[in-house]
Amino acid sequence: MLKARIKRALPGFTLDIDLSLDRELMTILGQSGSGKTMTLACIAGLARPDEGRIELGGKVLFDSEAGINLPPQKRRVGFVFQDYALFPHMTVADNVAYSIHGLPSAEVKEKVSRLLGLMNVSPLADRYPRQLSGGQQQRVAIARALAPDPDILLLDEPFSALDTQLRERLEMELLELQREYRCSMLMVTHDLAEGYKLASRVAVYHAGRIEQCDLRERVFFAPLNRTVARLTGVRNIMVGAVTRFEPDHVWIHVRAWDSEIKCVLPPDMRLEVGQQAAVGIRPEYVELTDGCGENVFSARSLQVVRGISAVSYRFQLDCDREAAHLVSASIPAPGAFCAKTGESCRVHLPAAHLIVIPE
Amino acid sequence: MMDTYLSPIWISVRTVLTATAITFFLGIGAAHWLGRYTGRFRSIMDGIFILPMVLPPTVVGFILLVIFGRNGPIGKILMEIGVNIIFSWWATVIAAVVMAFPLMYMTTRGAFEQVEPNIKDAARTLGASEWRVFWTVTMPLAWPGVAAATVLALARTLGEFGATLMLAGNIPGRTATIPVAIYFSIQANDYQSAAVMAGIVMIFSVVALAAVSYWQRRASRSRRVIIS
Repeated sequence: MLKARIKRALPGFTLDIDLSLDRELMTILGQSGSGKTMTLACIAGLARPDEGRIELGGKVLFDSEAGINLPPQKRRVGFVFQDYALFPHMTVADNVAYSIHGLPSAEVKEKVSRLLGLMNVSPLADRYPRQLSGGQQQRVAIARALAPDPDILLLDEPFSALDTQLRERLEMELLELQREYRCSMLMVTHDLAEGYKLASRVAVYHAGRIEQCDLRERVFFAPLNRTVARLTGVRNIMVGAVTRFEPDHVWIHVRAWDSEIKCVLPPDMRLEVGQQAAVGIRPEYVELTDGCGENVFSARSLQVVRGISAVSYRFQLDCDREAAHLVSASIPAPGAFCAKTGESCRVHLPAAHLIVIPE
Repeated sequence: MMDTYLSPIWISVRTVLTATAITFFLGIGAAHWLGRYTGRFRSIMDGIFILPMVLPPTVVGFILLVIFGRNGPIGKILMEIGVNIIFSWWATVIAAVVMAFPLMYMTTRGAFEQVEPNIKDAARTLGASEWRVFWTVTMPLAWPGVAAATVLALARTLGEFGATLMLAGNIPGRTATIPVAIYFSIQANDYQSAAVMAGIVMIFSVVALAAVSYWQRRASRSRRVIIS
């Protein structure tokens, strides 16, 4: 169980956060410079908060009022660095054994081989870090961090330097590791898909503060404000006002388009007629259609970029004369029949996938 | 006749080895300490540590003479316990240490700064004490630089002349090191002795510089490998 309340002021930036996690994998999402890595450094004791309290497994690691500040050596916090930070002058086995050098050598040997087996790097025990690939280095770094049986594992963008395939494999392995050992893990990432896939809960950072920290489904599909929506990949965020209600639905008048759109009303959201609200949709949920109906707009495609599995579009709705809010869409390649730039088509914004953000 | 060469060589060997050993630990200690010290006197301390390198050796010699002299702050204390530094063999060591220290300190500090902070932090989160981090991570990784620093310091102690002459004088068989002996041989028109001793110093210096360049090349090569 980790409970951290951290305040740290730097020139032009203040980190002020409060988070807790217990036997789960939590990801911290946010742009670079939002204080993600600083949070990990404070928990590990590598940076000192100005104020606050950090508690791990009932042990106080830091308390500005009580004057407690345990050094990193006494915190039982495992740290996996973005650049792996393996000891270049030691073999893989020596790297992993570094934290357990006091134990009898048979025990050390057994533990090292167990950890190397766990991370699938057993054959590399006698190699030096410079003889390993990036993925292998990261596996060794995780094995090394796990060796002293830490109470929590902190991972700072651990997979950002790896290619996609390798990255997905390591993500799955990490997930399995967490599920099998039920250990606490706190992982910084700026990759949205990774942040969602691995975590049970997600903390969204912006300018040194946590904008939202909740179950991943709530963070990604019921963001508290526009910042969270933007940082979790919602595009096409339009401002408007509530006009009327239907059972389980709400109609919102989008100012830039001078049109109403119908959204599913989240059960726990309170809105009133006339209230300001924003509405957004992920590009992946925008559809093309032949028909007419609610939330269907005629539009012209301004930009078409073909990807392997999806086509990216920028649409200008006909009701959007000023081109104030172009609609970004990412449509699975087989269904993307509007192929050319400048062509007219009909864009459907499905009510179930529109995200309502009260202002 | 042999004694003309052997005595200065023997004195220099003893002075160089003693002074290099002292400089080695002082330089590493100062580099390690100032590398971690973040107080406001950092720049001033750094300046003081490097000062002997930019001052004329005679000025350093004069300052040492004042400090270790009969009425100097340290000289007075030493006099009370019956130790006189000036014009003794220890004076050659002190002059050599002070003159070689900036080289040792600067080169070592550069080598320590080359060690990735993340790697040291990783060792800390793995439970290693600061002492263990220093000896198992910082030193092994900075070793090529530290070795180069030691060779440079050694060469500097061997070549020390100005401050040594001021503090230790030229007492044959006691304080006359090779450079001092060369100077006084020339004064006495004994070019043969001067040439022999100068030759020894030159051969030694060439070997030392070659060793430094070898170590530095090896250090940068191992760093490149780690990056790639």
